[in-house]
Amino acid sequence: MNDAMNFINLEGLKFFGKVNASISHELKNILAIISETAGLLNDLTDLAKQGKDLKLSLLEGCSESIAEDIQRGFTTIKQMNRFAHSVDAPIKEIDLLETLELTVKLSGFLSFASKVQIKNSYKETKSILTCPFLLQNLIYQILIFTYESAGPDGEIHIRLNSQKNDGTHLIFSSPTQLILKGFPTQKIRKTIDVLGIRLNINASPHELDIWIPYVSNKILILAKKLQMDSYTENDEKD
Amino acid sequence: MKVILVDDEQKFINMLAKRLALRGIQADVVFSGEDAVKKITNSTYDVAVLDIKMPGISGIQLKRKLSTLNPGLKFIFVTGHGAVSKSDEDLIEKDFYLSKPLDIETLIQRIKELTKAG
Repeated sequence: MNDAMNFINLEGLKFFGKVNASISHELKNILAIISETAGLLNDLTDLAKQGKDLKLSLLEGCSESIAEDIQRGFTTIKQMNRFAHSVDAPIKEIDLLETLELTVKLSGFLSFASKVQIKNSYKETKSILTCPFLLQNLIYQILIFTYESAGPDGEIHIRLNSQKNDGTHLIFSSPTQLILKGFPTQKIRKTIDVLGIRLNINASPHELDIWIPYVSNKILILAKKLQMDSYTENDEKD
Repeated sequence: MKVILVDDEQKFINMLAKRLALRGIQADVVFSGEDAVKKITNSTYDVAVLDIKMPGISGIQLKRKLSTLNPGLKFIFVTGHGAVSKSDEDLIEKDFYLSKPLDIETLIQRIKELTKAG
């Protein structure tokens, strides 16, 4: 069990760093656009001072552009904040659709990301007891493999589907064949094992299917262990 | 002087092109490496300003392709990251690279230096 915790901590830190780097890149791009737009406004002001005609449409275009990019920045920061809070509790109940949507958005900051469509066949999404941060990490790693297969102009579809009451299928597919070179890596295998998830890679050349239990025994054992550790820590403090 | 700007951040290079135009430098813009190759196959440019990280192809890989098509072409790299990686740094040793957000006057100075040197 300590092995599982060490894995979560080590891989978690790497994942956290990678996602934060891509967010900082996105924010820098947004600021670069705002900076250029502000620069253009200065240029137009200087021209107006020299007595040249100022086109109102250009000014309107600049202010609209700044407003759009400020909104894009706010959305990015909101996603960054949600991601930061995913480490608040090591094990907790999550809404899989919400986690999936956030992870897709975070992976979208990668320069080679494909377009992603999510289809949810549920009327109501059931909660999953899991390690949210590690599950995000797994989905992110899988998305990277699918993006490398589909390319930046390609498309990835993700379906949430279940015929049973004990878990849900998360199916990654592409209109073209998914060529997942070197998949699954040792790291992905280990993540799947820690989360108590099942992987079905042979179902179809166009699909990658992972089955996520609503509650897995492995997660329950891990939760119990964490609870015990927390009691021990509190005893030591007392 | 003919300049081509290549970046997948469309608004960024459109703004940059407008600002260059106000300073008398005409720049064509393309949003992907593929479009840059098409454009340079049909026209000759003096300077290409390339984003280091673009979907499908890196600025460094694109430089190799474009140099074959237009041997006299000079390059300026633009990065959204704080620093370029060591491997990239070695490759662009002889080129200029600038960090976003750009200072337009520095960019123009670099363009002039490159065209003068050529």
